[in-house]
Amino acid sequence: MDPHPDLTSGVVFGLGWFYLILFAMNACWVVRSYKQDGEMHLFGIEVPKASFWALYAALLGMVSIAHFTGSSQPDAFLIRMPEIFKDYADLTIGNSKLGPVLFFAGSIVGFVLMIVLREILVVPTVGWVLLNGSLLLLGLSMTDYDFRQIVAKPDNVPIVAMLFIVGYTTWLYFARAVDNDRRVKEGRPLYEEEHQEKILVWPDLVYSELVCMLVITAVLVAWGIALDAPLEEPANAAKTPNPSKAPWYFLGLQEMLVYYDPWLAGVVFPSVILGGLMAIPYIDYNKKGNGYYCFEDRWFAVSTFLFGFLPLWVAMIILGTFLRGPNWNIFGFYEYWDVHKLEVLNNVNLSEYFWLTLMGGAMPKVDPSAGAATQAVQILVREWLGIVLTLGYLVVLPPVMAATVCRRMFHRMGFLRFMVFSNLMLLMLALPIKMVLRWAFNLKYIVAVPEWFFNI
Amino acid sequence: MADKPSTDDILAKLRKEAQGGGGGDETPASAQPAAETRAPAPPAGETPTSTNDIMAALRAQGGKAASEPSPAPAARTGETPKSTNDIMAALRAQSGKGASPAAESKPAAPKKAGAPASLPDGEKPSVEEMLKGLRGEAKAADTAPAKPAKPTMPPLPTKPPVASKKKEPETRRNFLIALVATPFALAWTAFTASAGAFTLGLARFMMPNVLVEPPSTFKVGPPSDYPPGTVSTKWKAQFAVWLVHAEYEGKSLIYALSTVCTHLGCTPNWLEGEQKFKCPCHGSGFYINGINFEGPAPRPLERHAIRVAPDGMLEVDKSRKFQQELGQWEDGNSKVEVV
Ligand code: FES
Repeated sequence: MDPHPDLTSGVVFGLGWFYLILFAMNACWVVRSYKQDGEMHLFGIEVPKASFWALYAALLGMVSIAHFTGSSQPDAFLIRMPEIFKDYADLTIGNSKLGPVLFFAGSIVGFVLMIVLREILVVPTVGWVLLNGSLLLLGLSMTDYDFRQIVAKPDNVPIVAMLFIVGYTTWLYFARAVDNDRRVKEGRPLYEEEHQEKILVWPDLVYSELVCMLVITAVLVAWGIALDAPLEEPANAAKTPNPSKAPWYFLGLQEMLVYYDPWLAGVVFPSVILGGLMAIPYIDYNKKGNGYYCFEDRWFAVSTFLFGFLPLWVAMIILGTFLRGPNWNIFGFYEYWDVHKLEVLNNVNLSEYFWLTLMGGAMPKVDPSAGAATQAVQILVREWLGIVLTLGYLVVLPPVMAATVCRRMFHRMGFLRFMVFSNLMLLMLALPIKMVLRWAFNLKYIVAVPEWFFNI
Repeated sequence: MADKPSTDDILAKLRKEAQGGGGGDETPASAQPAAETRAPAPPAGETPTSTNDIMAALRAQGGKAASEPSPAPAARTGETPKSTNDIMAALRAQSGKGASPAAESKPAAPKKAGAPASLPDGEKPSVEEMLKGLRGEAKAADTAPAKPAKPTMPPLPTKPPVASKKKEPETRRNFLIALVATPFALAWTAFTASAGAFTLGLARFMMPNVLVEPPSTFKVGPPSDYPPGTVSTKWKAQFAVWLVHAEYEGKSLIYALSTVCTHLGCTPNWLEGEQKFKCPCHGSGFYINGINFEGPAPRPLERHAIRVAPDGMLEVDKSRKFQQELGQWEDGNSKVEVV
């Protein structure tokens, strides 16, 4: 028997429940659609739009029944992810050279689309279609052994849940913001003004808090019973688990460590992230958007934050959780985690590019036995290009920005605030820049001074 | 009523009651209608019914104060004071007078501002005015009170008059302050001192009296145990070294590589098929000679000291390390040459 079966009775049975829940959700949606969506012309007759949802729900019901009845013969079961799709997905993502590029580019494109198409996105039906699509994709993917190994791992279950929650909250934000933007444009009062949400602390607020507390406790208890804690063997300094993953909320940091030196990615950047988040209220001069959802009044602040959060944090968590396998190689969603997968990642420092490839000569030597001053000069000679580039990026670029693209901001903010702001922005952008450089040119470090543990 | 009253209803009702009820009492003349502000202010001198009322009243006065001088907040006038600072200021002004009535030379805060009780309403000087007069004498330079620059912002709360404190003779108030402050100072000093001592005590743990660690020098068998072109992982678990016999710069060498990744300290694995050390944490890769070539590791793996002991066995000394980027691999102690 196949030790890694794509389908087992248990899986098929579980998926039956999954589709049953999906069916129930869509049955409710049919009711809502019947009440709100109205009708459309089809072949000359008036058909309620809800009927399409009813068809879809019925289909889900049948799929669910098929799972329940077919669970005795998992091998012969037909509803599964097509192999062609899996192979295609693995080839594009799991391919070491193109994979991360595609993934990251995809997340950026998705981010831009989300903002550009927000008016469409916030239509409830569109949101519902997206939710259904992602759930169906998840359900179908669960028929793959390797995908299941990752997604159904007790550590990773909350990550999957988190993805849906992030999706929902983002959607909710855009729904409220687009609504308010329209109200502002039409001169109507804001949603928050029209629907005053003031309630009494006692009893209303306290009661709802109590209910939330009970629900969360119940969920946690059920979770604790259903999913065992993912304990591993006793720690051993001589043996690092392979792959060795940080807690899920730190996977973004771990991904950052792939591109930057530990002192930068592990110390400087996290501090900058925390400090920068705390600095936002002092940097922001936009007085609008206080106490109500909006996008257009604060498009810059919102997009900046969402860029830092969605592509640079959440997408990194997805990358770290689902795509990073043994030896921290990139694997496709449906790919077997082969410890011996070969990835050629010969990385080169900028100074090596400059001296060896461009100048065609030899690297300037740094004499380890010389004094610190001599060494410093020798290192400067070797790394001058990287140092110039880095300084240019962090020191020259802000004034240039102030004089050109950000002139209005500079006037509003004043010198000090603008310098803080621009450096925070540049540091945030430094991560994607370095990632792209690594993928495109195998660039290891822009400034590499291993002698002094200083690399950028 | 058929359905439950909503929160809004309740609040509205409460507000109405507060307003109506107030009207019945002795409504002093100072209870001007809270001019052109949103919330109805409860008449002064009366206990406000709810936080909302207080807030509303405060706002009403605040709004007024921005445009015209508001009546002095001293308690006698029956006006609700605007902010804590104002209350404090007013109280201090009064207590200052009460405490040392004889000290006529003092900045006569109460004198100047002392009028409020006798003046008809509306002519009472505002707190700002009182304070200005006060501080104008104390230190003129410092006053420059909140410029009435931005119309949207209420004037900044002014500082209470503490300017004359130093010149003042010992008073009961100062004595009281000293009495209250000293235990605090004492307590904080004691706390800081003990916390510091505690931290120092913790630091002591960094230098234990007894160190239970495997010996840093150990024998790993004769050189013949390590055939050319191999990596021995035999000592990895116990001593965290790999024994490698490989060509390096044209010579056949045996050396002890540390199993600590130079990136962030994970333990890489030796992959026989790919002939490389590969780190599972961020994917750094090292050749058999320890040179880093892929992933983020910035420098080669470190070597430990190795030598052939007098009895013909190889002996590794982990207390010494040799780093390639510092040119220490040239050192004869970092390798054993096999011919
Ligand atoms: S610790 Fe080895 S690659 Fe980061």
